[in-house]
Formats: sequence, C-alpha cells, structure tokens
Amino acid sequence: MRLRRLPGPEIMRLHRVFPLAVAVFALFLAAASMGEARLVRDQLGREVMAPDNPERVVSLAPSITEIIFALGEGYRLKGVTQHCDFPPEAESLPKIGSYVHLDLEKIVALKPDLCLGTRDGNPREVAEKLEALKIPVYTVNPRDLDTVMDTLLEIGGLLNAEKRALALVGEMRARIAEVKSRVANTKERPTVFFQIGIVPIVSVGTHTFIDELITTAGGRNLAAGSTPYPRFSREQVVALEPEVIIITSMTRGQDFEPVRDEWNQWGSLPAVRNHRVYIVESNLFDRPSPRLVEGLELLARLIHPELW
Amino acid sequence: MTAQSLPRRILAVSLVLGLFLAISVFLGLSIGSTGQNLREVLVLVTGHGDPASTMANIVWRIRLPRVLLAALAGATLSLGGLVFQAILRNPLAEPYILGISGGSAIGAIIGILLGLSRFPGVALLAFGGSMATLILVLVIASVKLSLKQDSLILAGVMVNAFCSSVIMFLLSITQDSRLHNILFWLMGDLSMSDTNQTLILAAALLPCFALLFLLARPMNLLLMGEELAANMGLNVRFISIVLMVITSFMVSAVVCHSGLLGFVGLVMPHLLRLLFGPDHRLLVPSCILGGGAYLVLCDLLARSLPAQGELPVGVITAMIGAPLFIFLLQRSRR
Amino acid sequence: MTSALMLQHLKLSYGNRRVLNDVCFSVLEGEFFIIIGPNGSGKTTLVRAMSGAVKPQQGEVQVLGRALRSYSGKALARCVAVVPQVAPVDIPFTVAEVVLMGRSPHLPWMGLERRKDLETAERAMHFTHVAHLAERNLDQLSAGERQRVLIARAICQQPRIMLLDEPTSALDLAHQVQIMDLLDKLRKDEGITVVMVSHDLNLAALYADRLLLMKEGGVVSLGKPAEVLTFETLEQTYGCVLLVDNNPVKAVPRITLVPGDALVWREQRLSKSGHVK
Repeated sequence: MRLRRLPGPEIMRLHRVFPLAVAVFALFLAAASMGEARLVRDQLGREVMAPDNPERVVSLAPSITEIIFALGEGYRLKGVTQHCDFPPEAESLPKIGSYVHLDLEKIVALKPDLCLGTRDGNPREVAEKLEALKIPVYTVNPRDLDTVMDTLLEIGGLLNAEKRALALVGEMRARIAEVKSRVANTKERPTVFFQIGIVPIVSVGTHTFIDELITTAGGRNLAAGSTPYPRFSREQVVALEPEVIIITSMTRGQDFEPVRDEWNQWGSLPAVRNHRVYIVESNLFDRPSPRLVEGLELLARLIHPELW
Repeated sequence: MTAQSLPRRILAVSLVLGLFLAISVFLGLSIGSTGQNLREVLVLVTGHGDPASTMANIVWRIRLPRVLLAALAGATLSLGGLVFQAILRNPLAEPYILGISGGSAIGAIIGILLGLSRFPGVALLAFGGSMATLILVLVIASVKLSLKQDSLILAGVMVNAFCSSVIMFLLSITQDSRLHNILFWLMGDLSMSDTNQTLILAAALLPCFALLFLLARPMNLLLMGEELAANMGLNVRFISIVLMVITSFMVSAVVCHSGLLGFVGLVMPHLLRLLFGPDHRLLVPSCILGGGAYLVLCDLLARSLPAQGELPVGVITAMIGAPLFIFLLQRSRR
Repeated sequence: MTSALMLQHLKLSYGNRRVLNDVCFSVLEGEFFIIIGPNGSGKTTLVRAMSGAVKPQQGEVQVLGRALRSYSGKALARCVAVVPQVAPVDIPFTVAEVVLMGRSPHLPWMGLERRKDLETAERAMHFTHVAHLAERNLDQLSAGERQRVLIARAICQQPRIMLLDEPTSALDLAHQVQIMDLLDKLRKDEGITVVMVSHDLNLAALYADRLLLMKEGGVVSLGKPAEVLTFETLEQTYGCVLLVDNNPVKAVPRITLVPGDALVWREQRLSKSGHVK
C-alpha cells in the first residue's frame, strides 16, 4: 500500500519554500516602500496618519517653511505659501496661495504625502477638504516660545530630523537664557508701545508672541490685556507716555518712515525725547519660528541698550 | 408777517446755533478716548494751565484739529445736501449724488494701495477722482442737451454704480492691513486730521460758505421750478452751474480729509427745514452752524463710546442719521 | 394805442417739427388778448416765445417797443409776468412766501424784502382773495386757490404784460368766472395787458377785446370775437360741426357743440320741413 503525500510537509521542502519566502519578503519590501504610516496626534489633538518618511511635504504657513529649512529638511518641501519669503530658497518653490486663502487645486496637484499647517491662520475647512482627499494634514499651534520649541521637535520627529531639532532647540534655549540673565541685572522695565497697525493704530495684548518677547527682553508692554490686538486712538497712546515706541506691520512693502516722522512730532513723549522710536522687521516678531529668538535679541538691545 | 423779521430771524437762528456749536466744540475738546476732563479743559481754554502738559498736548494737538475738521465737514456736507436738494428739486439728493463719492473713493483707494500718506498723496488723488467723475456726469447729462434735473441724477447714479464695481474689485484684491485703512476711509473717518491741512481747508471753505449765503435767495426761486424761476428774472442755467461747481468743489475738498461721511448731507437739511422753514436765507447759516455742531457731537461719540480705540465717525452718523431720516420723512408726509 | 407785444414773422421749430410758421401780429396795450385754437396749433409755444422761454429760429418778438433779446432777465421780469398752467406741486413754501417771491425782479441781489415789497404782496393777496390763506402751504390749497396765488405772485412783479397759459382749464365754473373777472379788473385798474391762451371759446368770447385763432402753427384769424368766431372759420379750423349764434348775456357770438345724433336729428328735420329750424 502506497502513502499519499500530504501537501503540508511538502511546503516545508526548501526548494518550495525559497521562492515563497522571496515572494513574501518582496511583498513586505513593497509595503514598506509604499510608505508605511503611523498614527500620530497633532497639536490640536487630531489623529493623523503621518508617513514615516515624507518626501512630498507642503507647508501651509511661512513659519512652518522656516522651521523645515532650519531643520535642514528643505529638500522635502514641494510647495509653500506665497508669503514664504525666508529663507530665499523658499521663494523658488511652487506657490499654493496665501495662508488664509489656500489654493486647494494647487496643493492637490503637487501630490503631497504630508501637509503641515497652523491653527492660527489656516482655515479649518481646507484641512478637512485635504483629509477627505486622503492627504494627511498635521496642524501645529505654537502660542509662545515654549510651544514653538515643542513644534520644532514635533516637526523634527515627523521629518526624521530629531537630532537637528534637538540641537536647534538647545541653541534657542541658550540664547533666551542669555537674554534673561542679562536683563536680570537691572530692575528697570521701560514701557514699550509696540505698534503693528497704522490705520487704525493696533498694538499687541498679553497672549501674543510679541508680548512675551517684550517681557522677556525686560520691557513692559503698554497694551497688555486680554484683547490680543487692541486698537488705540492717538490720544490714548499719547496719554500712556511710552518710553520706547517700536513700529512694524505685516503690510509688506510699505514705508514706515512717515509713521516714525509722525510720532517724532510729539516731543512730549519720552520715547521721542530720547530718540527711542524704532522700526523693525515684522517677520522676526510674528512668525512662530526659530527666528523669534533673533527678534528677542533685537528687542532686548533696543529696550536695554545699556546691557549690551 | 413773518418775513418782515427775516433779518432778525437770521440773526436769532445764527446766535442760537452758534452757541450750540460753541458748546459742542468745548465738549469735543473735553471728551475723548482717554476720558472726560471738563474742568482741565476749561482751565486750558481760559489760558491758564501748563501748555507743555500731556493734557494740553492732547487737547490742542489732537482734539482741536479734529473738532475743527468735524465742524468744517459737518457744515460743508449739510450745505452740500441743501444746495443739491434745491438745484435738483429732489428731497433725496445728497452731496455725493453727482458721482463725487465714486470718483473720490477710487482715487483714495489707489492712493492707499500705492502706500501714499494721507496728505498730500491720497487727498490729491481723491480730489482728482471726484473732479473727474463730476465732469463725466456733466458730459453724460448734457449729451441730452439739457441740464435737466432728471438726466443729472440719472447720470450721477450711473457713474456711482460703475465706480462701486471698481471699488469692489479693488477691495477684493487688497489682502493686508491696508484693507482697514480703505474701509475706514469709505466709512468716513476724522482720525487723520492735521492742523495745517485743516487750516488750509478752512481757508478754502469759508469763501464758499459766504458765496452760498449770497446765493440763498436764488435757491428759493429755484424751488419754484425752472420756468417760474426764469420768469422771475433768474438765469437758471447759470446759477445752477455756479451752485453746482461751488458745492462740488467744497464737498470734494472735505472728502479728501474725511472720507465718505454719509447721512449728514442727506439728513441735516431736512431737520433744519423742519425747524426753521424752507427759506434758504435761514437754512444756509443753519446748515453751517447746525451741521457743524452735529458732526462735532457725532465725532465726540465716535471717540468716547468704545472702551478701546475709536470708531470711525461714519458709523455714528449712519446709526443716528438713518432712523432720524426715516422719522423726518414721516413728519413731512403729514 | 401803442403795441405792448409785436411778433414779426416768427418761425419756430422743435428739432424737425415746425411749430410756429410765420406768425405776425401785435397786441395793443391794455388789451384783453385771447389766443384760441385746437390742440397742437402752437398756442403754448407762442406764449413761451412771448415770455422768452423759447427762442425762435427766425423772426423777432418785440416787447414794449424793444426787441425781446435785448432785455436782461430781470428787466424782462419787470415787464412780463407769466402764470403757468400748473405750478409744481411740491413747492414747500407758504402762500405768503410764494407771493413775496414775485417781488424778485425788483429786489437787489441779496434780496431782503423791504416794507414796500411786503405791502405790495399784501395788496396782491387781497386783490386775489387769498389773504386768508397766507400761512398755508401751497400743497394744501385747491386748484383754484393755487391759481389765484400764482396770479398774486405775478401781480407782485408789477408787470406791464401778463401771460397766462390756460389759467381756467382746471377750475370749476365759479372759479373760472372769478379768475377772468380778476384779470379784467387788473386790466382796467392798472392798465396791464392780458394775453391768455384759452380752451374755452365762449369764455374767450365773453372777455376778449381781440381773439387770435391759430391752427397748425399759423394764424387763421385775428380780430374782434364777432369777426373771428364765424361758423365757417371755426368748422374749418376745428374740423367739427359747430353751431354759432348770439350769446344772450353779451353781444358776442356763442358757440355750441353739435353731437352726432343731434346732426342726424337736424338732417331729419331738414328733410321733413325743408328748411333749417
């Protein structure tokens, strides 16, 4: 009597196993290179399927563009907003609209595997539409220097640049600490009026980057309060008698000299008497990016020139 | 008969409204976005007090030019409404009806977008724009070979409508904070008042006021209708053109400083007519003094109502003017 | 008697349409001169030419011996006062104010009225029986009262000539006679020349010194009522059947319209009795 061969043990034969193993291994490789994604939670608490190695990243805000380039991962970027002007390399990248008015079509045409946006500015509907089209959108929400550094680390993690992120953060912390220690040497806290709007006159309230920078730089923000961007009449500013006036605006290409000349006519203000009316570049103060530290250092030198 | 005392009535009305204006000016100097300081201002005004103090600065350098501009603008716009209501014999006529609003707005918006400062850049462009549209309106209306009221109003409405579309386009392409600047200008805003500029404006406007007072009786005749006015010896065409030119110049000059303040020119003539009757010899001085006081008070509210910052005064004139106008229309129906 | 108005070879067209065709006549001072004619005959245009409101392409109008063209606006207003057919309804002034405006041609530029002006206005209002309405607004009056106010205003101009365009066409019977009597009194008391356009042939016949009958821009007949109002002339001008007999009130013709069936009745009676009844 002859025994029928069972199929199972036959598979175990090596010359049958080998091709199978290769096939399975090939499948795994393919799966791996198709971009394995992992589930992460972004700063808004939403779950995002972020790819392990994003190769086509679209930035939805100028601050994010700066962060990506600062991390050395600029080569992953395939699209930026039209206001992304730093670093200069960003300007040659394809534009996808302004960060309040994103061009959905352009974004989709770039076939991104990851979009990075901010809560402040990017409209939620666009993020939702992109996700409906199966494009993952990771949203950050930096509100102060600490959360900016957290954002740096998170984005570093997403782009496999953790080491660089850590180094950057370390550098930032060191520079901030330097400013803080110098400022601690004096008890003076000059009053500062930081003007970000010309008509009407608008300043910054307590829960803004600029307020934090002013305070850290050893000044006192005259517009501190619960309103993030309070309006002032000229009368109110004159009554406050600021010791330092700093002028900037998000309006690109506008000349601020006339604004300074206007303030310089008010000889009764301490800031004018002591020639402490300054114009600064707004990008150093309103973008939650590593350059905030530069803004901090600049502010500190303007508010406490005697310490440098 | 009442007309017997016309000179006396003119004097009485002028005194009463003049007093009202003086009080409004004083209040305007005393109250502002930093609060009310009646006593301090009284001290300052009477010549005592420290001229270098912050309060003095605020009163003389911020509030005074603003109050002055408000008085001039209020007077001009009220007079403008009065004159156009007489020339066009239409109670809905207001100073911007012949295209001035459209043209000046386009000029001002272009100036703001180019980053020019209020004076002289934006102001000159606004003035140029309003003159251009005025000429356009006159050309369109006279194509029908008549300067009849209807074709003027029609031409004015057409030109303003076209300008609105241009303005909407310009607004849609403005993305940054200049939008605010433009919006404030379109609403009417006295916050950019400058002492020198206001004095130049006053020098330009006061002769216009005087001229219009001299033309008050012809305005009465115009209300009788073109034919009757002509039959009583009035050169209707000539007087209408002179009135139109003076008024358009006046209104355009003010708009350069204040933006498109609405509802003043429409409402004040009706209100004053209700109080003092239809004789223009009374209405011209009333519009100058009463209209000025009205806008000074509206501006006061605009400056003092918000807890932080200021409202553009055009918001206040609209909020008060619109219901007031409805009320006045209803009164006149009876 | 001198001529108050003289029209010489007046030709006037609106665009391509000829409205007045070689019109020549003169109006004597102190006359009650009434212009009649069917619609479209150019009556209103004629009055407007006489007041200077429209200018003829050819021909000349002379007022009190001088060319109309040579008068300044104010000077003309002191000679000629016009009462239009209807006044604009939305005049916001009171009766007293409107009447007082009639003094405009006599006032200096700034025009503050003097006592003399106020008295003239008072008299005019009494003359036209509107004094009791002095403080009323114009839009609160009846048509007849409004017409009298406008006449009072015209009187204030102290003109030599008054031009009226169909002043009675919107009035009821009582007011029609009232206005015509008023005008007649003005003529007799002040020596003012009254030139009027009228629709109403009988009224015209009763009051006019001379009538001017117009048709299609031309003068058909000019003369005393009895001369002008003959049934051949009228039937030709108006193109309808009219009966002309004597007015029982005054020695002037009386015109009666003949309705269609009355015509048939007349034919029937003619055929029956063989002669006109």
